[in-house]
Amino acid sequence: MNRNYIYLTLLMLILAFGTLMIKKTNEPKQIEPQQLLFELIQPTRYVSTDQVAKMIIQNDPSLELIDVRNSKEFEIFSLPKAINVPIDSLISKNSLLNFGIPGTKVVFISNDDIAADQVWILTKRLGFKSTYVMKGGLNQWIETIIDPKSPVESDPALAFETYAFRKGAQLYFTGAKTENAEPAKVKVEVQRKKKSGGAAGGC
Amino acid sequence: MEIHESNPWKTLLALSVFVVILIVGFFTMRTPLLTYKLDMKQSIEEMKNTDACFYPWQLNGVITNETKNIVLFDLRNNFVFGQGHIPGAENLSAQDLTKEESIERLEDLKNGNFIVVLYGEDQLQANGPWMLFRQVGFDNVKVLLGGYQYYLLHKDNLLATKTDSIFQKGVPKYNFAEMAAPKNGASVNSTPAKKTVEVTRRKKSGGAAGGC
Repeated sequence: MNRNYIYLTLLMLILAFGTLMIKKTNEPKQIEPQQLLFELIQPTRYVSTDQVAKMIIQNDPSLELIDVRNSKEFEIFSLPKAINVPIDSLISKNSLLNFGIPGTKVVFISNDDIAADQVWILTKRLGFKSTYVMKGGLNQWIETIIDPKSPVESDPALAFETYAFRKGAQLYFTGAKTENAEPAKVKVEVQRKKKSGGAAGGC
Repeated sequence: MEIHESNPWKTLLALSVFVVILIVGFFTMRTPLLTYKLDMKQSIEEMKNTDACFYPWQLNGVITNETKNIVLFDLRNNFVFGQGHIPGAENLSAQDLTKEESIERLEDLKNGNFIVVLYGEDQLQANGPWMLFRQVGFDNVKVLLGGYQYYLLHKDNLLATKTDSIFQKGVPKYNFAEMAAPKNGASVNSTPAKKTVEVTRRKKSGGAAGGC
Protein backbone atom coordinates (compact mmCIF):
# COMPACT_ATOMS: atom_id res chain seq x y z
CA MET A 1 0.00 0.00 0.00
CA ASN A 2 1.20 3.47 -0.88
CA ARG A 3 1.89 5.19 2.44
CA ASN A 4 2.18 8.69 0.98
CA TYR A 5 -1.31 8.53 -0.42
CA ILE A 6 -2.66 7.66 3.00
CA TYR A 7 -0.90 10.67 4.54
CA LEU A 8 -2.26 12.97 1.87
CA THR A 9 -5.79 11.64 2.27
CA LEU A 10 -5.58 12.05 6.04
CA LEU A 11 -4.38 15.64 5.67
CA MET A 12 -7.21 16.50 3.34
CA LEU A 13 -9.75 14.92 5.69
CA ILE A 14 -8.37 16.93 8.62
CA LEU A 15 -8.61 20.15 6.62
CA ALA A 16 -12.13 19.30 5.55
CA PHE A 17 -13.18 18.85 9.17
CA GLY A 18 -11.35 22.07 9.97
CA THR A 19 -13.67 24.03 7.67
CA LEU A 20 -16.63 22.68 9.62
CA MET A 21 -15.26 24.35 12.74
CA ILE A 22 -15.04 27.82 11.13
CA LYS A 23 -18.73 28.54 10.59
CA LYS A 24 -20.15 28.10 14.01
CA THR A 25 -22.17 31.31 14.32
CA ASN A 26 -25.87 31.03 13.73
CA GLU A 27 -26.40 34.80 13.85
CA PRO A 28 -28.72 36.22 11.20
CA LYS A 29 -27.08 37.73 8.16
CA GLN A 30 -25.89 41.23 8.94
CA ILE A 31 -23.58 43.80 7.41
CA GLU A 32 -20.09 44.53 8.75
CA PRO A 33 -19.90 47.11 11.56
CA GLN A 34 -17.58 49.29 9.52
CA GLN A 35 -19.99 49.28 6.60
CA LEU A 36 -22.79 50.18 8.99
CA LEU A 37 -20.74 53.01 10.48
CA PHE A 38 -20.03 54.31 7.01
CA GLU A 39 -23.72 54.29 6.09
CA LEU A 40 -24.99 55.84 9.27
CA ILE A 41 -22.83 58.94 9.06
CA GLN A 42 -24.50 59.85 5.76
CA PRO A 43 -27.50 62.13 6.17
CA THR A 44 -29.19 60.71 3.06
CA ARG A 45 -31.63 58.62 5.09
CA TYR A 46 -33.67 61.61 6.26
CA VAL A 47 -36.84 62.65 4.50
CA SER A 48 -38.84 65.73 5.42
CA THR A 49 -42.45 65.77 6.53
CA ASP A 50 -43.26 67.67 3.32
CA GLN A 51 -41.88 64.86 1.20
CA VAL A 52 -43.86 62.27 3.13
CA ALA A 53 -47.04 64.37 2.89
CA LYS A 54 -46.56 64.74 -0.85
CA MET A 55 -46.14 61.00 -1.29
CA ILE A 56 -49.25 60.26 0.76
CA ILE A 57 -51.33 62.80 -1.20
CA GLN A 58 -50.08 61.46 -4.52
CA ASN A 59 -50.93 57.98 -3.31
CA ASP A 60 -47.42 56.77 -4.09
CA PRO A 61 -47.64 52.96 -4.17
CA SER A 62 -43.98 52.55 -3.26
CA LEU A 63 -44.38 54.33 0.07
CA GLU A 64 -44.48 52.13 3.16
CA LEU A 65 -44.90 53.98 6.43
CA ILE A 66 -43.68 52.10 9.49
CA ASP A 67 -44.75 53.55 12.81
CA VAL A 68 -42.35 52.41 15.55
CA ARG A 69 -44.29 53.79 18.53
CA ASN A 70 -46.11 51.42 20.86
CA SER A 71 -49.52 50.12 19.84
CA LYS A 72 -51.39 52.34 22.30
CA GLU A 73 -49.98 55.52 20.82
CA PHE A 74 -50.53 54.11 17.36
CA GLU A 75 -54.22 53.51 17.98
CA ILE A 76 -54.78 57.07 19.16
CA PHE A 77 -53.23 58.67 16.11
CA SER A 78 -51.33 57.47 13.09
CA LEU A 79 -50.61 58.57 9.57
CA PRO A 80 -52.79 57.12 6.80
CA LYS A 81 -51.83 53.56 5.80
CA ALA A 82 -49.05 53.40 8.40
CA ILE A 83 -48.10 49.98 9.74
CA ASN A 84 -47.37 49.61 13.43
CA VAL A 85 -44.10 47.84 14.26
CA PRO A 86 -43.14 48.68 17.87
CA ILE A 87 -39.42 48.56 18.62
CA ASP A 88 -39.87 45.75 21.14
CA SER A 89 -41.36 43.42 18.56
CA LEU A 90 -39.02 44.48 15.78
CA ILE A 91 -36.94 41.33 15.76
CA SER A 92 -39.69 38.90 14.96
CA LYS A 93 -40.23 37.19 11.65
CA ASN A 94 -43.59 38.87 11.11
CA SER A 95 -42.20 42.34 11.63
CA LEU A 96 -39.19 41.81 9.46
CA LEU A 97 -41.42 40.71 6.59
CA ASN A 98 -42.40 44.37 6.24
CA PHE A 99 -38.94 45.37 5.14
CA GLY A 100 -36.94 44.73 2.04
CA ILE A 101 -39.89 44.37 -0.32
CA PRO A 102 -38.52 45.25 -3.77
CA GLY A 103 -39.76 48.59 -5.07
CA THR A 104 -40.87 49.99 -1.75
CA LYS A 105 -39.49 52.86 0.25
CA VAL A 106 -39.82 52.25 3.96
CA VAL A 107 -40.16 55.40 6.06
CA PHE A 108 -39.84 55.07 9.82
CA ILE A 109 -41.94 57.32 12.01
CA SER A 110 -41.88 57.97 15.75
CA ASN A 111 -42.80 60.84 18.05
CA ASP A 112 -39.56 62.57 17.18
CA ASP A 113 -36.83 61.10 15.04
CA ILE A 114 -34.59 59.34 17.58
CA ALA A 115 -36.57 56.10 17.90
CA ALA A 116 -37.14 55.97 14.15
CA ASP A 117 -33.44 56.50 13.58
CA GLN A 118 -32.62 53.70 16.00
CA VAL A 119 -34.89 51.31 14.15
CA TRP A 120 -33.26 52.44 10.90
CA ILE A 121 -29.87 51.47 12.27
CA LEU A 122 -31.10 48.10 13.53
CA THR A 123 -32.71 47.22 10.21
CA LYS A 124 -29.67 48.51 8.35
CA ARG A 125 -27.52 46.18 10.40
CA LEU A 126 -29.70 43.35 9.13
CA GLY A 127 -28.96 44.54 5.61
CA PHE A 128 -32.32 46.01 4.58
CA LYS A 129 -32.12 48.60 1.83
CA SER A 130 -34.14 51.69 0.85
CA THR A 131 -35.21 52.58 4.36
CA TYR A 132 -35.67 56.18 5.49
CA VAL A 133 -36.37 58.23 8.58
CA MET A 134 -38.93 61.01 8.73
CA LYS A 135 -36.95 63.85 10.23
CA GLY A 136 -38.62 65.47 13.21
CA GLY A 137 -41.19 62.69 13.46
CA LEU A 138 -44.81 63.31 14.32
CA ASN A 139 -43.97 66.40 16.38
CA GLN A 140 -42.61 67.96 13.22
CA TRP A 141 -45.59 66.62 11.29
CA ILE A 142 -47.95 68.56 13.54
CA GLU A 143 -45.80 71.70 13.35
CA THR A 144 -45.45 71.68 9.57
CA ILE A 145 -48.42 69.88 8.06
CA ILE A 146 -51.26 69.96 10.56
CA ASP A 147 -50.56 73.41 11.96
CA PRO A 148 -48.16 75.21 9.60
CA LYS A 149 -46.92 78.63 10.60
CA SER A 150 -47.25 81.33 8.00
CA PRO A 151 -43.92 82.81 6.91
CA VAL A 152 -43.16 86.44 7.63
CA GLU A 153 -42.72 88.91 4.82
CA SER A 154 -38.95 88.88 4.94
CA ASP A 155 -38.80 85.13 4.27
CA PRO A 156 -37.65 83.91 0.85
CA ALA A 157 -40.24 83.10 -1.79
CA LEU A 158 -39.56 79.42 -1.28
CA ALA A 159 -40.96 79.65 2.25
CA PHE A 160 -44.22 80.92 0.78
CA GLU A 161 -44.37 78.10 -1.72
CA THR A 162 -43.78 75.57 1.04
CA TYR A 163 -46.44 77.26 3.11
CA ALA A 164 -48.92 77.12 0.24
CA PHE A 165 -48.26 73.40 -0.12
CA ARG A 166 -48.56 72.82 3.61
CA LYS A 167 -51.86 74.66 3.75
CA GLY A 168 -53.16 72.42 1.02
CA ALA A 169 -51.81 69.37 2.81
CA GLN A 170 -53.44 70.56 6.02
CA LEU A 171 -56.81 70.54 4.30
CA TYR A 172 -56.11 67.08 2.95
CA PHE A 173 -55.11 65.58 6.26
CA THR A 174 -57.60 67.28 8.52
CA GLY A 175 -60.57 66.37 6.33
CA ALA A 176 -61.26 69.06 3.75
CA LYS A 177 -64.83 69.93 2.84
CA THR A 178 -66.01 71.41 -0.46
CA GLU A 179 -65.98 74.98 0.84
CA ASN A 180 -62.38 74.51 1.91
CA ALA A 181 -61.38 73.81 -1.67
CA GLU A 182 -61.76 77.49 -2.56
CA PRO A 183 -58.70 78.81 -0.76
CA ALA A 184 -56.68 76.17 -2.55
CA LYS A 185 -57.83 77.59 -5.91
CA VAL A 186 -56.76 81.07 -4.84
CA LYS A 187 -53.28 79.71 -4.28
CA VAL A 188 -53.02 78.49 -7.84
CA GLU A 189 -53.93 81.93 -9.15
CA VAL A 190 -51.26 83.53 -7.04
CA GLN A 191 -48.62 81.25 -8.41
CA ARG A 192 -49.57 82.15 -11.96
CA LYS A 193 -49.10 85.83 -11.24
CA LYS A 194 -45.61 85.14 -10.10
CA LYS A 195 -44.81 83.45 -13.36
CA SER A 196 -45.85 86.43 -15.45
CA GLY A 197 -43.75 88.63 -13.21
CA GLY A 198 -40.76 86.51 -14.08
CA ALA A 199 -41.37 87.02 -17.78
CA ALA A 200 -41.42 90.79 -17.30
CA GLY A 201 -38.06 90.59 -15.60
CA GLY A 202 -36.66 88.85 -18.65
CA CYS A 203 -36.61 92.03 -20.75
CA MET B 1 6.68 1.91 -8.53
CA GLU B 2 5.83 5.64 -8.64
CA ILE B 3 8.55 8.25 -8.72
CA HIS B 4 7.67 9.92 -5.43
CA GLU B 5 7.74 6.64 -3.62
CA SER B 6 11.35 6.31 -4.51
CA ASN B 7 11.97 9.61 -2.77
CA PRO B 8 9.62 9.92 0.25
CA TRP B 9 11.57 12.84 1.72
CA LYS B 10 10.61 15.09 -1.15
CA THR B 11 6.94 14.37 -0.56
CA LEU B 12 7.30 15.03 3.16
CA LEU B 13 9.04 18.35 2.44
CA ALA B 14 6.32 19.46 0.05
CA LEU B 15 3.68 18.47 2.60
CA SER B 16 5.32 20.36 5.45
CA VAL B 17 5.72 23.49 3.30
CA PHE B 18 2.03 23.25 2.49
CA VAL B 19 1.10 22.96 6.15
CA VAL B 20 3.41 25.84 7.15
CA ILE B 21 1.80 28.12 4.56
CA LEU B 22 -1.63 27.21 5.90
CA ILE B 23 -0.60 27.96 9.48
CA VAL B 24 1.04 31.27 8.57
CA GLY B 25 -2.04 32.25 6.60
CA PHE B 26 -4.29 31.40 9.52
CA PHE B 27 -2.37 33.52 12.00
CA THR B 28 -1.91 36.53 9.75
CA MET B 29 -5.59 36.57 8.76
CA ARG B 30 -6.74 40.20 9.01
CA THR B 31 -9.17 40.52 11.87
CA PRO B 32 -11.87 43.12 11.22
CA LEU B 33 -11.45 46.41 13.07
CA LEU B 34 -14.89 46.18 14.61
CA THR B 35 -17.06 43.21 15.48
CA TYR B 36 -20.51 43.15 16.99
CA LYS B 37 -20.45 42.39 20.69
CA LEU B 38 -24.20 42.73 21.17
CA ASP B 39 -26.74 40.77 19.18
CA MET B 40 -29.94 42.37 17.92
CA LYS B 41 -31.95 41.74 21.10
CA GLN B 42 -29.21 43.12 23.32
CA SER B 43 -28.85 46.13 21.05
CA ILE B 44 -32.51 46.96 21.48
CA GLU B 45 -32.19 46.64 25.25
CA GLU B 46 -29.09 48.83 25.17
CA MET B 47 -31.05 51.72 23.67
CA LYS B 48 -33.11 51.92 26.86
CA ASN B 49 -30.00 51.98 29.02
CA THR B 50 -30.10 55.33 30.82
CA ASP B 51 -26.54 54.76 31.95
CA ALA B 52 -25.51 55.16 28.32
CA CYS B 53 -26.84 58.72 28.26
CA PHE B 54 -25.05 61.85 29.34
CA TYR B 55 -27.23 64.56 30.78
CA PRO B 56 -26.64 68.25 30.03
CA TRP B 57 -26.07 69.16 33.68
CA GLN B 58 -23.30 66.60 33.91
CA LEU B 59 -21.38 68.86 31.54
CA ASN B 60 -20.62 71.24 34.40
CA GLY B 61 -17.85 69.06 35.72
CA VAL B 62 -16.33 68.66 32.28
CA ILE B 63 -16.32 72.38 31.51
CA THR B 64 -14.69 73.30 34.82
CA ASN B 65 -12.21 70.46 34.23
CA GLU B 66 -13.05 68.79 37.54
CA THR B 67 -13.87 65.40 36.13
CA LYS B 68 -10.72 64.24 34.41
CA ASN B 69 -11.94 60.94 33.03
CA ILE B 70 -14.45 62.30 30.54
CA VAL B 71 -13.60 63.09 26.92
CA LEU B 72 -16.05 65.07 24.83
CA PHE B 73 -16.13 64.43 21.10
CA ASP B 74 -17.76 66.93 18.77
CA LEU B 75 -19.05 65.04 15.73
CA ARG B 76 -19.81 68.15 13.68
CA ASN B 77 -17.49 69.19 10.92
CA ASN B 78 -14.37 71.22 11.50
CA PHE B 79 -15.84 74.50 10.28
CA VAL B 80 -18.86 74.47 12.58
CA PHE B 81 -16.65 73.30 15.42
CA GLY B 82 -14.47 76.36 14.92
CA GLN B 83 -17.47 78.64 15.23
CA GLY B 84 -18.27 77.38 18.69
CA HIS B 85 -18.23 74.24 20.77
CA ILE B 86 -18.54 73.00 24.31
CA PRO B 87 -15.38 74.00 26.23
CA GLY B 88 -12.94 71.11 26.43
CA ALA B 89 -14.46 69.21 23.52
CA GLU B 90 -12.34 67.63 20.82
CA ASN B 91 -13.36 67.68 17.21
CA LEU B 92 -13.89 64.27 15.63
CA SER B 93 -16.12 64.91 12.69
CA ALA B 94 -18.51 62.12 11.75
CA GLN B 95 -16.79 61.65 8.40
CA ASP B 96 -13.55 60.75 10.20
CA LEU B 97 -15.18 58.14 12.42
CA THR B 98 -14.57 55.34 9.95
CA LYS B 99 -10.84 56.01 9.94
CA GLU B 100 -8.62 53.52 11.68
CA GLU B 101 -7.03 56.19 13.89
CA SER B 102 -10.40 57.15 15.32
CA ILE B 103 -11.22 53.58 16.25
CA GLU B 104 -7.78 53.12 17.79
CA ARG B 105 -8.22 56.33 19.74
CA LEU B 106 -11.51 55.05 21.11
CA GLU B 107 -9.87 51.77 22.06
CA ASP B 108 -7.10 53.61 23.91
CA LEU B 109 -9.67 55.67 25.77
CA LYS B 110 -11.60 52.56 26.71
CA ASN B 111 -8.48 50.89 28.04
CA GLY B 112 -7.67 54.05 29.98
CA ASN B 113 -11.09 53.92 31.67
CA PHE B 114 -12.18 57.17 30.07
CA ILE B 115 -15.82 57.93 29.43
CA VAL B 116 -16.40 59.16 25.90
CA VAL B 117 -19.31 61.53 25.31
CA LEU B 118 -20.46 62.08 21.73
CA TYR B 119 -22.49 65.08 20.65
CA GLY B 120 -23.64 66.61 17.40
CA GLU B 121 -25.72 69.60 16.37
CA ASP B 122 -28.75 67.79 17.72
CA GLN B 123 -29.05 64.47 19.47
CA LEU B 124 -29.94 62.78 16.22
CA GLN B 125 -26.51 63.41 14.74
CA ALA B 126 -24.76 61.55 17.54
CA ASN B 127 -27.42 58.86 17.83
CA GLY B 128 -26.12 56.63 15.04
CA PRO B 129 -22.43 56.58 16.01
CA TRP B 130 -23.38 56.14 19.66
CA MET B 131 -25.54 53.10 18.90
CA LEU B 132 -22.92 51.52 16.69
CA PHE B 133 -20.10 51.96 19.18
CA ARG B 134 -22.24 50.46 21.90
CA GLN B 135 -23.04 47.49 19.64
CA VAL B 136 -19.39 46.82 18.94
CA GLY B 137 -18.54 46.81 22.61
CA PHE B 138 -17.45 50.33 23.51
CA ASP B 139 -19.48 50.43 26.71
CA ASN B 140 -17.75 53.66 27.75
CA VAL B 141 -19.38 55.67 24.95
CA LYS B 142 -22.28 57.91 25.93
CA VAL B 143 -24.49 60.33 24.02
CA LEU B 144 -25.17 63.90 25.11
CA LEU B 145 -28.93 64.32 25.38
CA GLY B 146 -30.24 67.32 23.50
CA GLY B 147 -27.07 67.85 21.53
CA TYR B 148 -25.18 71.08 21.02
CA GLN B 149 -28.21 73.26 20.33
CA TYR B 150 -29.76 72.40 23.65
CA TYR B 151 -26.48 73.10 25.42
CA LEU B 152 -26.20 76.45 23.69
CA LEU B 153 -29.63 77.51 24.93
CA HIS B 154 -28.89 76.57 28.52
CA LYS B 155 -25.16 77.01 28.87
CA ASP B 156 -25.50 79.75 31.46
CA ASN B 157 -27.44 77.58 33.80
CA LEU B 158 -26.94 73.93 33.04
CA LEU B 159 -28.06 72.82 36.48
CA ALA B 160 -31.53 74.16 35.77
CA THR B 161 -31.93 71.58 33.02
CA LYS B 162 -32.37 68.95 35.73
CA THR B 163 -36.02 69.91 35.94
CA ASP B 164 -36.39 70.56 32.23
CA SER B 165 -37.82 67.77 30.12
CA ILE B 166 -37.57 69.28 26.64
CA PHE B 167 -34.38 67.42 25.82
CA GLN B 168 -36.03 64.12 26.65
CA LYS B 169 -36.55 62.44 23.33
CA GLY B 170 -39.30 60.19 22.10
CA VAL B 171 -42.04 62.14 23.84
CA PRO B 172 -45.02 63.49 21.92
CA LYS B 173 -45.13 67.28 22.23
CA TYR B 174 -48.75 67.52 21.19
CA ASN B 175 -51.98 65.68 21.47
CA PHE B 176 -51.78 64.32 17.95
CA ALA B 177 -55.33 63.05 17.72
CA GLU B 178 -56.76 66.36 18.83
CA MET B 179 -54.53 68.44 16.62
CA ALA B 180 -55.21 66.37 13.53
CA ALA B 181 -58.95 66.18 14.10
CA PRO B 182 -61.08 67.71 11.32
CA LYS B 183 -60.92 71.47 11.61
CA ASN B 184 -64.05 73.57 11.73
CA GLY B 185 -64.58 76.18 9.06
CA ALA B 186 -63.36 79.10 11.15
CA SER B 187 -59.74 78.12 11.39
CA VAL B 188 -59.54 77.20 7.73
CA ASN B 189 -61.16 80.43 6.61
CA SER B 190 -58.47 82.42 8.35
CA THR B 191 -56.03 81.45 5.61
CA PRO B 192 -57.19 83.69 2.72
CA ALA B 193 -56.66 86.77 4.90
CA LYS B 194 -53.01 85.84 5.38
CA LYS B 195 -52.78 85.09 1.70
CA THR B 196 -53.13 88.76 0.70
CA VAL B 197 -49.84 89.50 2.39
CA GLU B 198 -48.21 87.03 0.09
CA VAL B 199 -49.67 88.63 -3.02
CA THR B 200 -48.32 92.10 -2.23
CA ARG B 201 -44.90 90.62 -1.67
CA ARG B 202 -44.84 88.91 -5.02
CA LYS B 203 -45.76 92.17 -6.72
CA LYS B 204 -42.89 93.99 -5.09
CA SER B 205 -40.27 91.51 -6.21
CA GLY B 206 -41.71 91.60 -9.73
CA GLY B 207 -41.25 95.38 -9.85
CA ALA B 208 -37.63 95.12 -8.87
CA ALA B 209 -36.99 92.56 -11.59
CA GLY B 210 -38.57 94.82 -14.21
CA GLY B 211 -36.13 97.57 -13.29
CA CYS B 212 -33.26 95.95 -15.09
